[in-house]
Amino acid sequence: MTAIIQARDLHHTYLPGTPFEAVALQSVNMEVGEGEIVAIIGPTGSGKSTLIQHFNGLIRPQKGKVVVNGQDLSDEKVDIKALRRQVGLIFQSPQQQLFEQYVGDDIAFGPRNFGLDKEEVRRRVRKAMEMVGLSFEEFKDRLTFSLSGGEMRKVAIAGVLALEPKILVFDEPTSGLDPATSREFLAKISELHNIEGITIILVSHNMEDVAQLADRIYVIVGGRSVLNGTPRQIFSQPELLRAYGLDVPQVTQVMHGLWNRGRHMRTDLLTVGEAEQEICRYFGFGQGEAD
Amino acid sequence: MSEFTTFRHITIGQYLPYGSPVHRLDARAKLVMFLVLVAVVAFADSYTASLLLLIVLLSIVYLSRIPVRYALQGLRPALPWIAIFATLQLLFYKGRYGPEVCSVFWSWGFIDITTCSLRVVTLMVPRLLEFMILISLLTLTTSTTELTHGLEGLLSPLKRLRFPAHELALVFTIALRFVPTLAEELEKIMKAQASRGADFGEQGRLRFVQRTRNLIPLLVPLFLCALRRAEDLSLAMEARGYVGGRGRTSFVQLKSAPQDYLALALVLSFCAFILLYDFTALDELVIGTIGNLIRGSSSLIAH
Repeated sequence: MTAIIQARDLHHTYLPGTPFEAVALQSVNMEVGEGEIVAIIGPTGSGKSTLIQHFNGLIRPQKGKVVVNGQDLSDEKVDIKALRRQVGLIFQSPQQQLFEQYVGDDIAFGPRNFGLDKEEVRRRVRKAMEMVGLSFEEFKDRLTFSLSGGEMRKVAIAGVLALEPKILVFDEPTSGLDPATSREFLAKISELHNIEGITIILVSHNMEDVAQLADRIYVIVGGRSVLNGTPRQIFSQPELLRAYGLDVPQVTQVMHGLWNRGRHMRTDLLTVGEAEQEICRYFGFGQGEAD
Repeated sequence: MSEFTTFRHITIGQYLPYGSPVHRLDARAKLVMFLVLVAVVAFADSYTASLLLLIVLLSIVYLSRIPVRYALQGLRPALPWIAIFATLQLLFYKGRYGPEVCSVFWSWGFIDITTCSLRVVTLMVPRLLEFMILISLLTLTTSTTELTHGLEGLLSPLKRLRFPAHELALVFTIALRFVPTLAEELEKIMKAQASRGADFGEQGRLRFVQRTRNLIPLLVPLFLCALRRAEDLSLAMEARGYVGGRGRTSFVQLKSAPQDYLALALVLSFCAFILLYDFTALDELVIGTIGNLIRGSSSLIAH
């Protein structure tokens, strides 16, 4: 697997040389392979948002190196605009960036910025809207600010998808959503990955989401990358994660609790489905009985 | 430096809690001194007075332990405008300024550069510096709470005339309080739109229409955010029983100490001196010395 994003010994300090100087990153190393889903977890203020803003050149590396798709971003000559077309960044609460009166126009903002012709813009808007589950005919002429919160978020995500990026970076994609919408969004993300083949980077505080989606996890604490591995490897260390102010998925906690009560089942389980199967196996329930 | 962090450099409304003697002064005294000094800076029209003011203000900055560079940082975005004003005044200023009679220095068509326009421009630069230092000094050494209470305290005699001192002070605090917040919000929105390929200020500095249109994707979300915040704030205030200024007591009790009166007396007498003293002779001395120095050094070079 080839690395599509690489960060080497990355440092970043906000407002250096002023009384408000704040160190955000001090030595982050990470690597994202093409076609992977990588999650970044870490406590609040650990530098996750600063890190992902390096990936589409919103922040240039101060010290260290970021290589995206073979381009070294320390190089002043890198075409940042072209890079932003390849790496779509979806901020937390993206519905706050909407500004056009009509939904279709807002989604077309990105493609128009890149000077695409009318037909191509239309095709991309239609496709992006369908990818997030909004019908083109029904929604393109709706008033942006009459939509519900969830719909506005979908429009904002479609606005980034319309750039047809190779890499998508999500900052807290499910924060503030109700459980049903949350589930829908996660399903959409894995769909984008499976069907469109988009590489996905995901920042989240929700360990369940991360366990369900990610191929690999990076743990960022105090501006340093401290751990990385598959969800099973990372979530097999509950004490360490708790010391960092993080946790393991609740299902995994239950399995650890059962183990401590002498029910020696597997503890490296991450999803409700896996746990259900394991419990049924342990107690000798048949599949039919469990249902 | 990143292209988006410029808004973090807004120093207005950012209090630096260094606890220096300047910080500890009564906010009311500071406000009075600030207003008087602003007036004096605006009226001072001699080189020597301007220089004296600059020296005094810089020593107050030194006393307050605020890095001078930091206090002047807010000046940077204003520099192009200052340059434009300076050029306009240099070329088109026609009036008299100061005590001397103007003599034409250089003339071309309807453009006259006179000794007066030179004087105006030379005095403008330190004057702007002084304004900037004054504003930074006040906001960097006084927390917004103190500032509001100071303002309210100064205006409270007018309450008898039904003047809304408390409400005015509150509006003032809220406005100041939200400058950094909205700046942060703006930075976030800029980044989100840049991620969708928006350009800000990179192309066509002279294409005003295009550049103004580029602001719409920033201004609409920013206004929405400001309105939402205003609504949240008013709800939060009402939820905590806010009903306006009547009968309201305060956690911060302003008490004037001897050093407040001392500082006030010093600043007021300095201001009176600057306004009343006739600096003409001193100015001529300064200009004469500089002229002699230039002549002396040029003759030295000539030899």
